[in-house]
Formats: sequence, C-alpha cells, structure tokens
Amino acid sequence: MTLLVILSVVDILLLIAGLAFYLFWVGSLLTRVAGNLEECAELVWKIVSHAELIGPGVEHINQTGGVVAGALPLLYGMAEGIVAGVTPREPEPAVPLPAMPASGTRRSRLHEAVGFGRYGNTAWQSDPDQN
Amino acid sequence: MHPLAMNPTEHTVWLTAIIIGFVVVLAVAALLSVLIYYVKIIDRRVVAVRETLKAAETNTSSTVLIPQVADGVEAVLAEGLQHHLFLGRVLGKVKS
Repeated sequence: MTLLVILSVVDILLLIAGLAFYLFWVGSLLTRVAGNLEECAELVWKIVSHAELIGPGVEHINQTGGVVAGALPLLYGMAEGIVAGVTPREPEPAVPLPAMPASGTRRSRLHEAVGFGRYGNTAWQSDPDQN
Repeated sequence: MHPLAMNPTEHTVWLTAIIIGFVVVLAVAALLSVLIYYVKIIDRRVVAVRETLKAAETNTSSTVLIPQVADGVEAVLAEGLQHHLFLGRVLGKVKS
C-alpha cells in the first residue's frame, strides 16, 4: 500500500518536473526565435524602404536619358555644320581639271609581266649583243 | 479490517495505473524532446534568414544614390540644352 502511494507520488512528480523542464527549455528557445524574427522583420522593412527608391529613380533616369539620347544627334549635326563652315577650302580653278583618281596614276606592269623590266628577266640589259 | 486495505483487484488496477503513468511520462518526454529538436532547427534557419536579410539590406543600402544619379542626368540634360543654344548661335554666325 505504502509502496503504491510512493510510486504514485513519484509518477506525478516526474510528470510535473518533466513538463516544467521541457516547457522552460522550449520557452527560452522560442523567445530567442522571436527575437531573431523581430530583427528579420526590421531588416525586411529597411529593404522595402530602400527598394521604394528604385522604381521612381530609374524611371526618372530613363526618361531624362531618353531625352539626352534623342538630342545628341541634333548636337553633333550642328557641330559638324560648324566644322564644315569654318574649315578653309582651296579655291576652285577657273578651268576645271579632268577627273583624276585620288590615288594618282598607276605604273604599268606589262613589261614585267612578259619578262622585262625591273623584276623580270633583265639579262638582255647586260648582254652586249642585245644592245 | 484496515480501512485502507484493498482487495487484490484494486491493487492490480492501481499498479497498472502507475505503470501507465510512467509510460505516459516517458512518452511526454520523448515528444517534448522531438519538439525541442524541431524548435532548434527553426532557430538555426531563422538565424540563416537573418544573415541573408542583413546581406540584402547591405546591398540595397546603395539605392539612396539613385535619386542623386537622376539629378546628375538631369544636370547633363540641362548642360546639353546650353550646348544646343551655343551651337545654334555659332552655327548661325558661321553660315552667315
């Protein structure tokens, strides 16, 4: 009888002590998790506040950059007109010259092609009979 | 007869209840151990999420420069308009 009572009391005490120990442990862990989650929430709000600047700023940059890009051809067109206007030009001759290639006249290589000339067969030049 | 005397059936029932109580205590301890295991996993993952968010917050902290860049581009546009006016005046004089 006494043994049964003691075992019953031990059983109840074990249940209460175990529950208290484990619940205290879980409580401390959950408190730490809650602190970390609170810090995460603050970081998320900071990121949101930073990201709110991106949309309007990029839109502004895009719009202004588009205007600049559209105006640049006009600017360099005007600059080219100024350069063309201030560059001195040679006076045109009274009698216009015939059209000439800009690279000049080209030396004929027909003699060299048939063995005469500078890089062809030049033996005839040193042969006294040929002269 | 003693007032607390029990018959064998009552004794057996009490003893069975005590054994079931011990089993319940062990089961509660096991379940709470599993709960603590999962809560520790949650704690580790939350710490990882916090570190990731810190890195993201550091990366996005430079977005305050975007309005300054927009103002700079606006200044480039204003300067380009001044160049346009200047080149227009000079071009008119050169052509005339």
